[in-house]
Amino acid sequence: MLTLLRRSIFSLPAPARHLATALVAGFLLFICAASPAQAAQLSVTVVLSENTGAYREFSDALRESLLKRNITPVIVEDPARPVPNSGLVIGVGMKAATAVAASSAPAVLNVLVPKSGHEKLLRDFPRRASSRNYSAIFLDQPIGRQVALIKAALPDKQYVGVLYSAPPVELAQLRREMAEHRLGLYEQMISRELSLHDALQELLKTSEVLLALPDAGIYNSSTIRNILLATYRGGIPVIGFSSAFVKAGALCAVFSTPVQLAAQADILINKFSEAQTLPHAQYPQEFEVAVNEQVARSLGLRIKSAAELHDETKAFERNKP
Amino acid sequence: MNGSLHESSQYAVWLLSSVCLLGMAPCHANDDVPTETDYLQDLPVVLSASRLNQPLSESPNAVTVIDRGMIKASGFRNLPDVFRLVPGMFVDNSDGHTPIVAYHGSTDEFSRRMQVLVDGRSVYLPPFSNVVWGDIPLHIDDIERIEVVRGPAAASHGANSFQGVINIITRDAGSAHGASVSVTKGDGGVSDVTAHVGRAGADLDYRITLGYRADDGLDTNVVNDNRTARLANLRASYRPTGSDSIDFQLGYNEGIWGMGIGAGRKSDPFRDTSVYSNFEQIAWTRVLPQGDEFKLQYYHMYRHLTDPGGLAPAFGATLIPPDHTIVHRDDVELQHTQQLGADNRLVWGGGMRVDSADSPLSLKVRQEISQSRIFAHDEWRVSPAAVLNVGAMFEKDGMGHANTSPRASLNYHFTPQHTVRVGTSVAYRSPAMVEEKGNTPGEFLARGGLRPEKIHSREIGYLGEFSTLGLTVDARGFYDRISDVIYLDPQGPLIPTLKPYSFHNLMGTTEKGFEGTLKYRWQDRNSLIFNYARLSVDCTITGTLTRVAAPLLPPPFGALAGSLLQGKLQEIANTCANIGTWNSGSVLLTQQLRHDVLFSAGYYHQSPLPVMNTSEATTMRRVDMRIAKSLDKSKMYSGGEIAFVVQNAFQSGYAEYSTVPQTNFIKLFNRRAYLTATLNF
Repeated sequence: MLTLLRRSIFSLPAPARHLATALVAGFLLFICAASPAQAAQLSVTVVLSENTGAYREFSDALRESLLKRNITPVIVEDPARPVPNSGLVIGVGMKAATAVAASSAPAVLNVLVPKSGHEKLLRDFPRRASSRNYSAIFLDQPIGRQVALIKAALPDKQYVGVLYSAPPVELAQLRREMAEHRLGLYEQMISRELSLHDALQELLKTSEVLLALPDAGIYNSSTIRNILLATYRGGIPVIGFSSAFVKAGALCAVFSTPVQLAAQADILINKFSEAQTLPHAQYPQEFEVAVNEQVARSLGLRIKSAAELHDETKAFERNKP
Repeated sequence: MNGSLHESSQYAVWLLSSVCLLGMAPCHANDDVPTETDYLQDLPVVLSASRLNQPLSESPNAVTVIDRGMIKASGFRNLPDVFRLVPGMFVDNSDGHTPIVAYHGSTDEFSRRMQVLVDGRSVYLPPFSNVVWGDIPLHIDDIERIEVVRGPAAASHGANSFQGVINIITRDAGSAHGASVSVTKGDGGVSDVTAHVGRAGADLDYRITLGYRADDGLDTNVVNDNRTARLANLRASYRPTGSDSIDFQLGYNEGIWGMGIGAGRKSDPFRDTSVYSNFEQIAWTRVLPQGDEFKLQYYHMYRHLTDPGGLAPAFGATLIPPDHTIVHRDDVELQHTQQLGADNRLVWGGGMRVDSADSPLSLKVRQEISQSRIFAHDEWRVSPAAVLNVGAMFEKDGMGHANTSPRASLNYHFTPQHTVRVGTSVAYRSPAMVEEKGNTPGEFLARGGLRPEKIHSREIGYLGEFSTLGLTVDARGFYDRISDVIYLDPQGPLIPTLKPYSFHNLMGTTEKGFEGTLKYRWQDRNSLIFNYARLSVDCTITGTLTRVAAPLLPPPFGALAGSLLQGKLQEIANTCANIGTWNSGSVLLTQQLRHDVLFSAGYYHQSPLPVMNTSEATTMRRVDMRIAKSLDKSKMYSGGEIAFVVQNAFQSGYAEYSTVPQTNFIKLFNRRAYLTATLNF
């Protein structure tokens, strides 16, 4: 194309040629300045469900790593605002993800959303389900990782209890993982006939560990107290699903921080800018383990440090066939 | 259209969540959109530092924990009996409603050398500084667990934590969801009815107990010690925010207690006394974000005893004058638990207490004592294997004494399963109101000016866990020196036994010995607990008896009085030396016979009593058995239990504690059986 351009310039009369050369040089300069950006110049818009806490932490971390690659993301702090219909849009949290799913954004990555939430969006917005450019990094940990944590933290315990208000999507997998690790699984579903209190009492009779699965009907700020007290009285440790849960009194938990999720998002964004498609929705790669040592001590459990448990959990996952 | 649909669904979510908040309907996750809130929400710190038990292997003292399962298995109907499961604890009955619970013995039936706490409320009361066990508005079913600290522990449990502490922790308001009714019928007039109801809600939990209890006490021909009592208590916990909780308790107990000794001592006529007590307690706890905690607690206790008196049908017709005692206690305490880094935890605080007693018969004029205290306790994990506990309490006892009670102990884990503890501590017991200010015409006239009793305890303990064998061991050797023991001072102008008595810092004792607990657990619910204690007491007279000046007596009589006093002192020294050694032990077996049948048996042994004012001492041996069948859920009820208990199964009776010779009228604890049926709803 350049040679063609040159040729046509040379065919012009001299004064016009000078002018044309200057114009072309200017145009080329413009192209040169602009074209490397066009290859990576992906416009990234980050839509936050709320401009606070974990959402903010995620967007700050992502912004920082994108800036290193000369990408300046646009941060939209209110999901009610219009979403751009070009580039890649990151929906942070369910509220934002729902707004983004409803918009005409061509490529979407959901983060800080539970797997079940993402799947609900796929059901609610069928055109998203068929898109190759609609993906997510879940907030939940893969069930195998949680089972690995139980094995690493409480190698002597054999019977694990779970409570739910509706069978969770991962239930089949949980049963499989438990069987693989030779752990017994006791399940209790709360219903109109079986209150949370009674279900928990039933479970405490048989289980040595309570594995808490995210379920707003069971584990929320108003029920957590009685659940933790009842399990503590029964001498049963609880495996939680967030650092707040561990602080409240669970023995330990595996979870990913917004910073870790931002790093994973950065990798996906990079892949998208190269291939123009998003990888499949996925679980968090990096995670942390939190341990409440005081609870462990008080329950008479000798538990490894958070760092050791992290490494063991990771090794368990790696060695899995 | 779309917008309005969206709005209406939002409205539905809002409505649903408000209904959830009100606790009116069960809230299921499948009704809601799954969100990240589950993972991201802040949760209140539930198991805060003060809620978590210090593991026994890191405690600065030897601690015996009695849980609900053990209480149930023991079959005991009266709370004080439960302490038979504590090594080194002396338990006896002065009569059916006046038990004696004393760690390492006592000088008389008013055991007053222990702190007894119910949810942090101190229940040893003026004017005698004793615990009126039958009067506490507490049902044995209300108890979650009991921690018995064996050794002085003023730094963490306050004044009077002298020889030990009984720390009773009642069930959390949120732990008794539902309702239950229980009926007990049996020998000796045993007739109890109890109802519990409770509810655990989103931000308010409560439980209520209503109870009626009646029995004929010990052998009715000898002592009049029948009892009926009604009690009610309420515990509520309200959480206005995630970090604040307010625990509120009320309790009331009212009853009729028989009084008087029959055959052999006609000077104490049979009569009915009425007892009434109540308490109100409120505690506010705030958990700070780092897990630190503030706790502010206030309680008030009230007790009223009315004795109508009576004319004893003995010759000379002794008149027992009518009596009443009104006691108030107000106590406020602030406590701050602070995590100072990963390896260091500090608890510090202070409190004030006002005790008053109006008891014309023992005090003549109403007495009021204001005490104040500050305390601090630090737990420092010096290395992963070593825990150092250091603390102290400083108190002003309101009787002119300022005492500092320090405690230090080092727990060293040779392996995580094997721990050795060495510790030393000092504590004081302030004189009881009657000891310092008692005035019962013709009986007692306190001269005052008493020094507090002081204990200096040294111990070495071992805790072992043999998990493959299902065995745990808790053993300790101790060497305690108690100085300035307050004892009756039989002052008299000529004959030293002549009344009125006073009290005096008269003795020093050295108590040394060994005690241990062995627990063996097998299968799921079977256990064998074995307790043993051996105590030897040396006693020396360190004070002198008061010799009341008798100016009218000619010199030879004065000299005679002096030698009589010496003789009396020698007599006390002899009684004191007679205590010698004391052995006690207990065994509790719990065995699951079928999935719904639980059998348990307890054996309790005590060699003759180390109590100085007993006239005769006998060995106590007793076997209790319990068999319980749990009931399955049915349409009418959600489960229950039928339990049959035989106490003292293999003998007709054994003699209980007595201050007078038991030749003519032995107070017997007969064999007795009772049946309890409980239904849950």
